[in-house]
Amino acid sequence: MVSVFSQRFVKFALGAGIVFSIPVFSHALPKEQMSGSEYFERKVRPLLIKHCYDCHSEQEGSQKGGLLLDRESGWLEGGDSGKAVVPGQLGASLLIQAITRRNEDIAMPPKYELEEEEINIFRRWVKDGAAGPIEDMGETAFSQLGNQEVIFEKAADHWSFQPVKKPELPAAGKGQAIDQLIFAKLKEKRLTPSEKADKQTLVRRLSYALTGLPPTDKKLFEMEIDQLVETLMDSPQFGEHVARMWLDVARYADTAGTYRPDTKTPHYYPYAFTYRDYVIDAFNADKPFNQFVKEQLAADMMEFAPNAPELAGVGFIGVSPHRNMSGDFVDDVIDATTRGFLGMTVSCARCHDHKFEPVPTADYYSLYGVFSSVNRPEPWKEEEFPEIKGYKPAPGELASYREERAKIDKSIEDAGKKKKGNNRSLAESIEQTDLAELLLFNNGAPARAIAITEKKRPSNPMIYIRGEPSNKGDRVPRQFLKILDPQQKPFSKDNSGRLEVAEKIIDPKNPLTARVYVNRIWGMLMGDYIVDTPSDFGLQGEAPSHPELLDYLAANFIENGWSTKHLVKEIVSSETFQQSSENRGGMEAIDPENEYYWRANRQRLGVEEMRDSYLAVSGNLDLKVHGRPEELWGDDYSHRRSIYGYINRFNQDPTLRNFDYPSPMQTQGQRTDNIVPPQALFLMNSPFIIDQAKTIVDKLGFTEKTPEEEKVTKIFEAALQRKPSVGEVNRIARFAEIENGRNVDPWPLLAQSLLMSNEFLYVD
Amino acid sequence: MNPFSTFSRREALQRIGFGMGALAASDLLANVREGGMDSPLAPRHPHFPAKAKRVIHLFMNGGPSQIDTFDHKPGLAKFDGKELPDSIKKTLQPTQRNRVGTIWASPFKFSKHGQSGLEISELYPNLAKHADKLCVIRSMESEIANHSPGLLMMNCGHPVLSRPSVGSWVLYGLGTESEDLPGYVVLMPNGMPTAQSRNWTSSFLPGVYQGTHIETNAKGGEMIPHLNRKDIRFGTQRNLLGLTRFLNQEHKKEHPGDERLDSRIHTMELAFRMQSAATDAFDVTKEPQAVRDAYGDTPVGRNLLMARRLAERGVRYVQCYHGAGQPWDSHSGLIPRHQKLAEESDQPIAALLEDLELRGMLEDTLVVWGGEMGRTSTIQKGPSDVNKIGRDHHVDGFTVWMAGGGVKGGTAYGETDEWGLGIASNPVHVHDLHATMLHLLGFDHKKLTYRYSGRDFRLTDVHGHVVEDILA
Repeated sequence: MVSVFSQRFVKFALGAGIVFSIPVFSHALPKEQMSGSEYFERKVRPLLIKHCYDCHSEQEGSQKGGLLLDRESGWLEGGDSGKAVVPGQLGASLLIQAITRRNEDIAMPPKYELEEEEINIFRRWVKDGAAGPIEDMGETAFSQLGNQEVIFEKAADHWSFQPVKKPELPAAGKGQAIDQLIFAKLKEKRLTPSEKADKQTLVRRLSYALTGLPPTDKKLFEMEIDQLVETLMDSPQFGEHVARMWLDVARYADTAGTYRPDTKTPHYYPYAFTYRDYVIDAFNADKPFNQFVKEQLAADMMEFAPNAPELAGVGFIGVSPHRNMSGDFVDDVIDATTRGFLGMTVSCARCHDHKFEPVPTADYYSLYGVFSSVNRPEPWKEEEFPEIKGYKPAPGELASYREERAKIDKSIEDAGKKKKGNNRSLAESIEQTDLAELLLFNNGAPARAIAITEKKRPSNPMIYIRGEPSNKGDRVPRQFLKILDPQQKPFSKDNSGRLEVAEKIIDPKNPLTARVYVNRIWGMLMGDYIVDTPSDFGLQGEAPSHPELLDYLAANFIENGWSTKHLVKEIVSSETFQQSSENRGGMEAIDPENEYYWRANRQRLGVEEMRDSYLAVSGNLDLKVHGRPEELWGDDYSHRRSIYGYINRFNQDPTLRNFDYPSPMQTQGQRTDNIVPPQALFLMNSPFIIDQAKTIVDKLGFTEKTPEEEKVTKIFEAALQRKPSVGEVNRIARFAEIENGRNVDPWPLLAQSLLMSNEFLYVD
Repeated sequence: MNPFSTFSRREALQRIGFGMGALAASDLLANVREGGMDSPLAPRHPHFPAKAKRVIHLFMNGGPSQIDTFDHKPGLAKFDGKELPDSIKKTLQPTQRNRVGTIWASPFKFSKHGQSGLEISELYPNLAKHADKLCVIRSMESEIANHSPGLLMMNCGHPVLSRPSVGSWVLYGLGTESEDLPGYVVLMPNGMPTAQSRNWTSSFLPGVYQGTHIETNAKGGEMIPHLNRKDIRFGTQRNLLGLTRFLNQEHKKEHPGDERLDSRIHTMELAFRMQSAATDAFDVTKEPQAVRDAYGDTPVGRNLLMARRLAERGVRYVQCYHGAGQPWDSHSGLIPRHQKLAEESDQPIAALLEDLELRGMLEDTLVVWGGEMGRTSTIQKGPSDVNKIGRDHHVDGFTVWMAGGGVKGGTAYGETDEWGLGIASNPVHVHDLHATMLHLLGFDHKKLTYRYSGRDFRLTDVHGHVVEDILA
């Protein structure tokens, strides 16, 4: 059938201009003499144009409910609800049911009724065999949107669904594999690589790439590059830095996306932070990525000790923006799982077969069955959440927690559980606000893992037609995606199947998982992806600029035990990574976007790197690892790294948003890089930055006797880790003279000027 | 070209809806090709020439009662105090069925106004003088009869999922004409509406298209975060920025050919100008006393005057909430509550329409008035004191009106049924309203798209029809 369609497709695509070829009759024929097709064109088609084509024709670019009424195959095959027309059978034809409004769910047109006379024309047409158009348009690219057979055929040739194949290296044995593959492509494009960046630049670049912090420690500049890489990767700041990338994918936040209308407080997730810490630890310990995937989807099913920190891994599911067990929650988890790990946009198949990707709606509901088979206890039911090892509050913190806790417990007890009408009881309200806040922010509170548990009986999913739970279709087994698992063996009946999903994702034969992950790491380090749509490797995604390199990295990654550190080290040790970032005219003319890596990319600091850098150069940065979220800005801002900032999904921080922090309402594969005035206003006027500038100068301890040039030098070294040039010193002397004349201390302003500068905010 | 900020060329090529008008897309790509800084906020042409260039959306959050304001239902008088027939009750949303009380004809008097004879209730004596400017849609329908989903539906086209707001789409499509103000401003007198910042989110569109919300009761400089600093004087700040500019120029000399570095130098200067421009735009005391009196020195009055000042300065989309939370929500005490709220807004809205007209701005400014839903024609079960009773939420047949920007004034479109609880003719779904607003701004709502997560998204999703009959 498919091949016939594709032949017809060619033919009719050429004639796509002929949408309606309604013959013009010079004189009216008595209707008895009309052929079926003539009857269609003269009587039925005009009604379809008038009442139906807005939503069901290629001309209008719309096939609602998957139904097209501009060709025979359209009504014979029908849409999501079934066959629209069964020739000769009025009762079985949904079209007739719809226009006679016998079935309220599918009454059409939606907003008004057809005239009796019009309905009779349709009846007669169906009864007489529902003849098709005189010139039928057949299948077109448009009508094949969402035709899963056709899409599966296309997918069979699509690069990302092919097995990962380790490429032959162009010059075996000579140089690093990455460089061989990159340089071969450069040569092919008549490009040449750039020189190695100078040491000063490289140290700074590596420091940011591996820790997200500036090289404030002078010792770093004295090391050999290899030693520097080792040192940076061994520091706990490495895990924090890579974790930040992963937390975008995991749409991490400390609250749900909604709030309590009565108290206007967000729905808190008091244990989300242990998932964030778990992610940091995973990268610091170089947890094999396959294990990391498993724990995030099913740590609770993996027989860890009752207080093992790994249990926090299922926070990946638990930090969903949707706090209730609902269709939207399940949809979000499917989305984060499939885009996050596989680069597939499965959640588009919630209401109908995917229009572009090999994902039938049945597959969506197979996964729906998996992720709807879990329980999510309310956060204040503390006993449901395993307390985990590794958090030791200071004695004072513990005492303060106990004291606060006793007060809240008492107020809950006093309030009683009596409900006021429809509203929540006062006790519940206290639990969801005061208690949840205490559990979230107070360091003395026990650290617990977000709990995701198995339902007693896993659900037996049904397709929801058009995504409506009341509109049930066929039952489907809980199983994996057909495109990656053609045999589709149903999962065990005994549990949700999360572990089995994880196993399918990390199967070394799965062509997507390793490719998607190495591309994310490559993009994070290089400032540009091999596949420019990091969370979409499907037919709609971008093709890789370097397919062999992607496969090399993926294969090598799996061979080396899914080690992130191995992967990172290989990339940053390459000549490709260590090139200068400077522009070269001849190269730019050929490849202006540096798609082929003829130089390194100059990268702007992310908002976390920027904030952390300000704290680092002012000496204010507190490098404590782990812990509860803290406020990033404001009078009492935290001195800890930004990854420990409190992320309120419901009321997203405007400063973060202005600096391209992505909305944690869904999984995020990459950030935008915008330059807008609110960023400049922040740099010019925020108390946070003014405070850091002042601190830099305060800590340098200048006296009245300190020569001006020494002040300038020290401030430069603190802020930029370099000495000023003569030109800079002279210009600053003029600046200082003016301010001194005004009786304004110029030095904190000089420090701020350096903090605002492009040199500070871009990494070469 | 407005170098407000930059897209990477690749990002532009990838994301811009391929359905975007040939004109707009080619404009944008021309910018890209010329290698200039290519700003996502630069003013752009829509798909076709259009009357409306900007929008002022007066959001009556909480849901005003249509049958007490713009949808006169004299026929209800004969049913007043009677129960609804079960067959009608059945059509109400399930959450409300058990709360339905008796029918309550509007306690407010309606009369005809202007040449058009448009019927408006006594709640709006001043606005009524502008009846011939109003295009009243009495047959609005939305999806879920509650505040948060209602607000999100009206603002973002989906009651639940995170989608970009109308203002974000408009800014994405048209850019902004204001170089030193945000292109999409959301004004609220004293705190956020229900659903808060999700109402003006850019969701998956780039963050630059997000609305900038401003608490207008805050003092001048505090309305925009970090707009000013008090510890140094103007001259010192100028000197500081001069030094920074020098450092950046030196840096640029060593790293030539990177547009982003230029762009940051430029935005810093824009931001510097914005400090005074924004302070000025939000400072309504700069208006002549007569103008301030016309709007009234009240939270709503000042808000609407600010809206005009912003619109005048090229801000593309201004949204004004009536107040924090959902002030129009009148489950009880509807009479005093609606009287108070209407009184707060009647004079300012009338002043806004008149002011825009006098300045010749009404023809290219689309003013939209309405809530996230309407209210039932029945009493919500409760006390029987007429000053204490109220009406419940209702989404099938509520009222929104528009004025200016290419709509037919003095028009009523659509009808509710005899119970005021369903739509009798010409239903206008929120998606249709959105499609029509985009049309008035020059966009085919089906073609203003953005590629995200493997799909081309649009404001109206797969829905929406332009309401041709109300176009001037």
